[in-house]
Amino acid sequence: MKERVIRVGRPAPLIGVVCEPEKINSNRPAVLIFNSGVMHHIGSCRLSVSLARSFADKGVLSVRFDFSGIGDSSSRRGVESFSETAPLEAAEVMDYLQKKRGIKQFILYGLCSGADAAYETALVDKRVVAYSQIDAYCYKTPKFYYHFYRPKFFELKRWINFCWRMVKKILPEKIMSDKSADEEANQYLEAVSYIREFPPQSEVSSGLKSLVERGLFFNIIFTKGENSYSYPQQYRDSFSDIDFGQNLDLHYFNTAAHIMTHPSHQALVVKTITQWLVDVINKIEKIHK
Amino acid sequence: MTPFFFGESKNQLYGVLHPMQGTAKKPASVLLCNAFGQEYMRSHRALRQLAVMLSKQGYDVLRFDYRGTGDSALELDEVDAQDWKDDITIAIDELKDISAVQSVHVIGLRLGGLLAAAACAEREDIESLNFWDAIGSGDQYINELRDELSDKYAVNDNGVLNSNYQEDSGVIHFNGFALNNQNQKKLNEMNIANIDLSAINKIRHIISHKSDESQALIQAMNACENFESYFIEAPHDWNYIDKYGGILLPQPIIQGIVNSLK
Repeated sequence: MKERVIRVGRPAPLIGVVCEPEKINSNRPAVLIFNSGVMHHIGSCRLSVSLARSFADKGVLSVRFDFSGIGDSSSRRGVESFSETAPLEAAEVMDYLQKKRGIKQFILYGLCSGADAAYETALVDKRVVAYSQIDAYCYKTPKFYYHFYRPKFFELKRWINFCWRMVKKILPEKIMSDKSADEEANQYLEAVSYIREFPPQSEVSSGLKSLVERGLFFNIIFTKGENSYSYPQQYRDSFSDIDFGQNLDLHYFNTAAHIMTHPSHQALVVKTITQWLVDVINKIEKIHK
Repeated sequence: MTPFFFGESKNQLYGVLHPMQGTAKKPASVLLCNAFGQEYMRSHRALRQLAVMLSKQGYDVLRFDYRGTGDSALELDEVDAQDWKDDITIAIDELKDISAVQSVHVIGLRLGGLLAAAACAEREDIESLNFWDAIGSGDQYINELRDELSDKYAVNDNGVLNSNYQEDSGVIHFNGFALNNQNQKKLNEMNIANIDLSAINKIRHIISHKSDESQALIQAMNACENFESYFIEAPHDWNYIDKYGGILLPQPIIQGIVNSLK
């Protein structure tokens, strides 16, 4: 495994690291690893580095890089939103790999805003043949509420908290107001600059249908951390009008934090995505034979 | 800005050089030494901004990742604080080489301050050593982490598994990063108060919020003629982690450090 720095584009290049296996096969898809929120290209808890090195062990080349204005990549001029610039910048990196290494197909990986960027990029770039997302766009179903509230219903602590919130609403603001130390401490906290707004469900559903028609492969992982996913099949139910066939590999890590802080979840994510990647590449190679 | 790998090929380190801008190059360059773990993640942009501002003052600035962290080689379970101290030495030599200077200013954030002190004590080419909310000693740092640990199998109100715990083997997991036993042992051997920093021209201690630990470091260092301490109020909690991995950008401190190196 070798790692090299790349600078893609001008005048403000996108900075990234190519992680190469011992033997490069340009007929094999490469993986683009996207930023998660404002975290730089090593990813939450260094997850992007672990993924890249695991992919290289399986003979797959990857690039982890920073979108403009994040991590080591400088800002670029313009007024476009992240949703608009991310697919364009991802295309720059794909162009680079196509030109330098002859790679023609790509698989994307992203967590949170990176997951959104993977979806947006796949929609507009036909070189994308698969993607892996952690906490992708998903919508609440009737079953979500059942699974979300049922365990909480019998917890005394929840009812105490509920009563306390009601008391706070009733009492005058002055009595309850406590400019907390947290608020003061967080004045230097730079919030995620990307405001995550889910597009209308019908729009995503239509987008996913077009990707399914193109034969894309999907690996979708959900965590407990987002509080908007509460049972293993919610993603399928959320898009019940789509027949993903055998192309959807869906997982729910029901005790995992959104940014994967637990070591067992980090290991599980790397194992799950790497295994899926190997399977997908085998399937793609069979189709081409 | 030039990102590159340097050092031994098996243990290559990822660095980013911010070459001086303008025409008046300073006679010494600047090395930035990272914090560890989630603190490193949260301060990445702050250190990048500090590097950019210092480069505009005429400094060549290098920031880099220790082995087992960031983009550098190896994994966390393969490295310890002695390796990180050695990495600082390698980075200083690399910086002197590429910027063709005889001496460097070293800035260490949190654990980076302690590691920088250990590395710089063995050299005679350090123009100044600058602690930014530095950890005074390894055992203080480990105790600080231990205070935040809870049961391995605990779950929070949202049903998320606790990630701040100690394994039976002794390994500490904190906010998504691990300190192995050897690393804890090596850190425990490091204490700024016991390090002879008399060969360094200037030592600055920049504090964003006062604590028992920062006061202890001031007391330990006050006897040194070359020591100065600055308090620049910017209260925040380095060990805090939010749900989305938000980052810290304490502008007053960054500006204060830039001013002190004018």
